[in-house]
Amino acid sequence: MKHKFQYFSVGLIAGWLCVFGLLSFLVMVVMSFLQHDPDHIALWHFTLQNYVDLFNPIFFTIFLKSFYIAFMVTAACLLLGYPFAYIVSRFPERLQNMALLLLLLPFWTSSVVRAYAMMSLLKTKGLLNTALLSMGLIHEPLQILFTNTAVTIGLIYNLLPFMILPIYVNLERFDVSLIEAAKDLGAKYTTIFRKVIIPLSIPGILGGCALVFLPAMTLFFISDLLGGAKALLLGNLIESQFLMANNWPRGAATSVLLTAIMAIGLLVYKFKSSNKGIHYEAVI
Amino acid sequence: MKRFFCRGGSRAALKKWAWVALSLFCTVAMADDNVVNVFAWSQEVSPKVIRQFQKDTGIRVNFSTFDSNEVLYAKMKASKQAQYDVVEPSSYYITRMARENMIEKLDLSKLSNYKNLNPAFTHPDYDPKGEYSIPWVLGLTGIFVNRKYYPDDKIEKWTDLWSPKYRDSLLLLDDPREVFNVGLLTLGYSPNENNLQHLQKAYQNLVALLPNVRLYNSSSVPSMLIDEDVTIGMAWNADAYKASLQNPDIEFIYPKDKFVIWVDSFVIPRNAPHRDNAYKFLNYVLQAKIAALQVTETFYPTANQAALAYLPAKLANSPVIFPSDAVLKQGYFQTDIDDNALDAISRYWDLLKLQ
Amino acid sequence: MKQSFRFFYIALIYLFLYIPIGTLIIYSFNNAIFSMLWHGFTLNWYNEVLHDSNLWIAVWHSLYLAIAATASALFIGTLAAISLYRYHFRGKNMLEGLLFVVIITPDIVMGIALLILFSLSGLALGFWSLYIAHVTFCIPFVVVIVYSRAKSIDPNIFAAASDLGASELQTFWHIIVPILLPALISGALLCFALSFDDIVISYFVSGPGFEILPIKIFSLARLGVNVELNALCSLLFAMTLVLVCVSQWVTRQKRI
Repeated sequence: MKHKFQYFSVGLIAGWLCVFGLLSFLVMVVMSFLQHDPDHIALWHFTLQNYVDLFNPIFFTIFLKSFYIAFMVTAACLLLGYPFAYIVSRFPERLQNMALLLLLLPFWTSSVVRAYAMMSLLKTKGLLNTALLSMGLIHEPLQILFTNTAVTIGLIYNLLPFMILPIYVNLERFDVSLIEAAKDLGAKYTTIFRKVIIPLSIPGILGGCALVFLPAMTLFFISDLLGGAKALLLGNLIESQFLMANNWPRGAATSVLLTAIMAIGLLVYKFKSSNKGIHYEAVI
Repeated sequence: MKRFFCRGGSRAALKKWAWVALSLFCTVAMADDNVVNVFAWSQEVSPKVIRQFQKDTGIRVNFSTFDSNEVLYAKMKASKQAQYDVVEPSSYYITRMARENMIEKLDLSKLSNYKNLNPAFTHPDYDPKGEYSIPWVLGLTGIFVNRKYYPDDKIEKWTDLWSPKYRDSLLLLDDPREVFNVGLLTLGYSPNENNLQHLQKAYQNLVALLPNVRLYNSSSVPSMLIDEDVTIGMAWNADAYKASLQNPDIEFIYPKDKFVIWVDSFVIPRNAPHRDNAYKFLNYVLQAKIAALQVTETFYPTANQAALAYLPAKLANSPVIFPSDAVLKQGYFQTDIDDNALDAISRYWDLLKLQ
Repeated sequence: MKQSFRFFYIALIYLFLYIPIGTLIIYSFNNAIFSMLWHGFTLNWYNEVLHDSNLWIAVWHSLYLAIAATASALFIGTLAAISLYRYHFRGKNMLEGLLFVVIITPDIVMGIALLILFSLSGLALGFWSLYIAHVTFCIPFVVVIVYSRAKSIDPNIFAAASDLGASELQTFWHIIVPILLPALISGALLCFALSFDDIVISYFVSGPGFEILPIKIFSLARLGVNVELNALCSLLFAMTLVLVCVSQWVTRQKRI
């Protein structure tokens, strides 16, 4: 009986993940070494050309742009999110739950809805410009929509909680007596913050950065809606290789490269902090 | 709820839930076969037309949209089985799809309303025997300008867009052929150019335009024009007309250095899963009244000449939607180009969008 | 840091989070087709949305898909988590590795990998392709949540159960499931939300016959700002609000 149950449940998940996780991934890797052919999905002919193409300076620019935007988004989320997480973690418990609920509420709606909402806010005649104009802060409407700035704002808007939650979880479990001790020893508040609080929240910060940086490179629909259809993110590049250029092998090669970058990033992160489960719990 | 799970009743209750879920899962309206899957250009089929079709025939339309022929082509190639019953490629893609055996020859005996079409459009050079396609909408690509922002600018040619005045402000259509048409026309070449050297020159010409380009978009043009998110650039006549109804500052210009006339047609993919419904859909939209409704809703000119009688005078006389013959003479009909030229355009297009 | 400054900062962040949605809701009552300029109050757009049958079919598809994917992922994931917790078997490390790989695979990569797989195997894009994709990306989340709860079970309980003559299945239904119930509920909620909301993966593996809400909204949003979409989004937000309140209420009841 025990064995039946065990075989069934392990077999089920192993089978499912092998076919739809592993096999599909391997098929993609194989595809990335095949030759592009306009009339078929790919030609059964080994080539490295797809990877060589990616080192073309123009593709390289996209990588840089994508990294740059993801970096800006991560930095902004950290700067905005850390104080928020810190302040909330010092609230009384009931207030903490309330604050987190309010933080997460917009994120239970669809992410496309959020991108769309940002679009209507940033329009030339959107609320932002109307408000700034009527306050007399600007005289010409700001042209934000369809720029990199708009994409960056849209990404921050979508990803901020993924930064806040891991940091919050980290700070919330944090031993207050450490601060007391530092105070007793005569440390100034800024010193405590710099020398005690920040170092202890490094795992949360790293977790948050990983959860923000990686999606920021791939959320193609945000840059589709807010960025004026110029290829900005790696996600757009992959999307257009599959759905515009109909060049699946090169799209597969780009995806393999993206996965490799992420894997390296995560290995570094895993090396720094071993407790990954926490962050997924936190996101929930 | 908790009661179910705790004590003795839990197993039976869970089983019951499982059965309910399973039976729901199996019986749910999966087997809804009275449908037709239509894949068309965004904005080119009015939702009202679809709703009326559903009401009159009881056939449900799974309507999805694309923004460029490339997306349509890639989606059709992505799956071995045919998914769509009716698709709406532009002229030059019809030649290509017919050559690659992706679409069916039409059985005109099932289309009693076919006679409503203007014969001038039924045997175009992209489908010389008229056996694959049903022309649905026509369009002309020109320049729009918001006169509130540029009251006195003299804009009558494509080349005017190259002026450094318009830095970072142009809207270009998100469509490789459309943009290359501009690049070619301003150099005096035909938009249906197969000469690779000319295409390369056109590419260099477009690179010089890039500093002026603010964005590429072809699906949300009317809304952007009305709200003045963009104030100058290229647009289709119907979109510009639609916008000008709500924002009278918008002017549409047929460029003097020539422009392109395109036709988007309905075709039936090979092995369409609901072929009979596809014919019903096509015959339905070929009715004069439905075609007229389509024009009054979307403002795209139609090839359905019987529909013209049902149009309000204001529309029928609009020089933007139905330009005079003198203007039309300046237009090129867009036709197919060979694979090498198309590949070159698609390669240059990638480069343009990446810069 | 001063107290007032703290509240000011928190309020600022909330403003950033809520203003876009608030704008959307306000403008869903605007009496103009495209424009964001105020043209007077109307409920017309809600009326349009409520009568757009194709839209509700997409909503129904999304719900149906989310429920099916959640149920399946919960089933597969819970069994796996329990096995991982209770048994030692060959390849256990490999299974954990596999789960980890699926977790870290970027959404877009999973989407296109499945697209290639479906395309080569000839599976038509539609309900089944979406179902498979959604179950696949939900499973690891269920395993992680259920497993971390299972770790808190005292192993002696199993010995006690078998001493008292319970079969393996009885132990499962009468002991394990009740203990894991909170984790199952939060896992189910998460899967439902992930599936109902997913766009990146669904974008690649959806077909014309089975349109789902996020894809529909995306294609509408590409047409630019329009009020009908504003109304739809406001309705969705209201629905979310109700759901979150209900789930809060349920979990609070549970705690007591």
